Amino acid sequence: MEPVSAAIQTRDLTKQFGGFTAVDSVSFEVRRGEVFGLLGPNGAGKTTLVRMLTTLLPPTSGKAIVAGQDVGRHPTRVRERIGVIPQALTSDLDLTGWENIDIYGEFYDVPRRQRHQRARRLLEMVGLRERANDLVATYSGGMRRRLEIARGLIHSPEVLFLDEPTIGLDPQSRRAVWDLLETLRKESEITISLTTHYMDEAEQLCDRIAIVDHGKIIALDTPSGLKRMVEGADRVDLEIEGDTKAIAEMLKQEPYLREVELDGASRLTLGADDGPHVVPKIIDRVESAGAKVASISVHRLSLEDVFIRFTGRSLRDEPAKKVSFLVGAGMPQSRS
Amino acid sequence: MKTLAIMRRDLLKLRRNPLTLISTILMPIIYLVIIGNSFQGQLKHLPVVLVAQDHGEYARRMVEQMLALQAGPKTINLSFMADPGDAIAAVRDGRFKGAVVIPPNFSHNVAEGRLAEIGLFTDNVDSVSASAIEGVLADAAQSIRISFVTAREPKLNQIVLRPSWLFQYVDYDRSLIPGVIVMAIFMGSLMSGVFNWVMDKFMGMTECYLVTPLSRWNIAAGILGSGVTITSIAGIVVLFLGLLITGGRIQGGVPALVTLIAIIVITSTGLLAMTFAILGRASHPRLVGTFAGFLNVILFFPSGAIYPIESFPPWLKAFARYNPETHSVSAIKSILFKGADLNAVTGDITFLIIFMAVTLALASISFKRTL
Repeated sequence: MEPVSAAIQTRDLTKQFGGFTAVDSVSFEVRRGEVFGLLGPNGAGKTTLVRMLTTLLPPTSGKAIVAGQDVGRHPTRVRERIGVIPQALTSDLDLTGWENIDIYGEFYDVPRRQRHQRARRLLEMVGLRERANDLVATYSGGMRRRLEIARGLIHSPEVLFLDEPTIGLDPQSRRAVWDLLETLRKESEITISLTTHYMDEAEQLCDRIAIVDHGKIIALDTPSGLKRMVEGADRVDLEIEGDTKAIAEMLKQEPYLREVELDGASRLTLGADDGPHVVPKIIDRVESAGAKVASISVHRLSLEDVFIRFTGRSLRDEPAKKVSFLVGAGMPQSRS
Repeated sequence: MKTLAIMRRDLLKLRRNPLTLISTILMPIIYLVIIGNSFQGQLKHLPVVLVAQDHGEYARRMVEQMLALQAGPKTINLSFMADPGDAIAAVRDGRFKGAVVIPPNFSHNVAEGRLAEIGLFTDNVDSVSASAIEGVLADAAQSIRISFVTAREPKLNQIVLRPSWLFQYVDYDRSLIPGVIVMAIFMGSLMSGVFNWVMDKFMGMTECYLVTPLSRWNIAAGILGSGVTITSIAGIVVLFLGLLITGGRIQGGVPALVTLIAIIVITSTGLLAMTFAILGRASHPRLVGTFAGFLNVILFFPSGAIYPIESFPPWLKAFARYNPETHSVSAIKSILFKGADLNAVTGDITFLIIFMAVTLALASISFKRTL
């Protein structure tokens, strides 16, 4: 591997469970200070990938460098340099918010004075200063998540891994977490790896996004770059008064349109790379042909459309999870 | 129909949790075997030492009666010693439940129609055994009077069994205190140690430990340390509450208290490590709950906390010999009620220390730093 300047760097990283390959020769880099999103359907291999990067699972083959340290060779050094916010709410309900953060800081040998200073600052940042001495059992889900973000930052990690940080939260709490991550990005040089299913979240927060499917990264770019990869994805709905068929044939010749389909007697559906900018051209062309535009609307390509284009519409049958014969389905062994 | 739907749902779930089914069917059988054999009605094989300082006719008759007790109902296992002091010391240090001393002039006194006493020194801390021995030997003395009465016999009704307690009086409630302490230690070790760990694992909370620089040793030692602290405090609180309720006090003062605390800490550590070694890798708290009940029964009832282990069948007696709770109960009884010094409980404490070392080693092998 090249000398490391990236916050995360993988080369042919692979994880197999028996005969099943959960992560298949994945290579990518995350730049320092970047917010990097991992998107993918359930069972795509995101969680396994992140678990390898956070030292929870040893890779079967390949290499991963996180915060300048080899995950396989120096897992403890990696752990000292990363913060992880797992998907499950993991703050201790029987402890106060302050105790949760303080004890977690001790895990990293953060000196007492420094720990307390940071805890105060972080609790302020996540808006929990007033509730710091309340039991976490009295917190809402959103408050717990904010507390866990603060907890994950107590040792000033170089890389922060967040796994579905807003899952199950109400819109207000989601926004609060987003604001928090935005603040972090602006005010520090921390690198953030964000796994999410929410496209708006990825689009809002991430500098670059990797779409993972079947254990591989199938696309990696900025949100707008990903959209550009899908040609003719903006949809223009056009209603005209006039000879619809003739107009359709005429529009098929226009180079800025990808698709032209008749949709009933007076409606056309058009595909374009840049919907808003082709609208005046379409109107001019239709009117120059002697017809009249009754209505026109543009549906811009969303990240979700891009995601579906890359990963398809089919629902995934995830590989069968192990269920304990003795205790039943109480705790299936996750491996995705 | 709606009720049937609920029933169907529950039955399907039960079918897919064989552990629940197994524990429902198998556990009562195991409990019955263990508890049933721990409380077998008439006591048997109680070790009694006899010092026959008189070899006259009536002393011989008493010995024959005792041998008959050994051979017939098997209530006692009879040993012989020459010196009454040694025999009483052997009862004091727990090797025998009672010592019978037939004094040198016993037969002569009987023949002369004078009061003829047989001495009985019992380990009254085990009040169940002491009462049983006293009962059967009183019957034996009675038998001499009845069986051998002839026209020529002297006044045999002057034969008397004179029982003595070697320790201060311990009523039944107080005699349960060591067992209650050991049960508190077991429950504490389970709830503060392995149950917490498995529950955290089940809730996904261990993940936030495993992504930190905490080593396997940090985690294991931390859990063990908190568990031992909580469990030991529970054991000590139960000790004092027990004494408060039953109105007792610790024989032997501060040194005895220190020894008791040491026994409680060693037992706590051993049981915590044992439950970790057995259940530390369980993925579901249900497993811990099921095995906890099972372990509690198989360790507590054969521990001698309620019923003397001498009366158990051989297989259960063999198990009891290697049961850590047996040694813990025995050591606590000796210190608490007999005022025994450290020397008297060296055997029990040595066993507990070895048990602790072995279970700690097994727990460290079993405990993995993985999800």
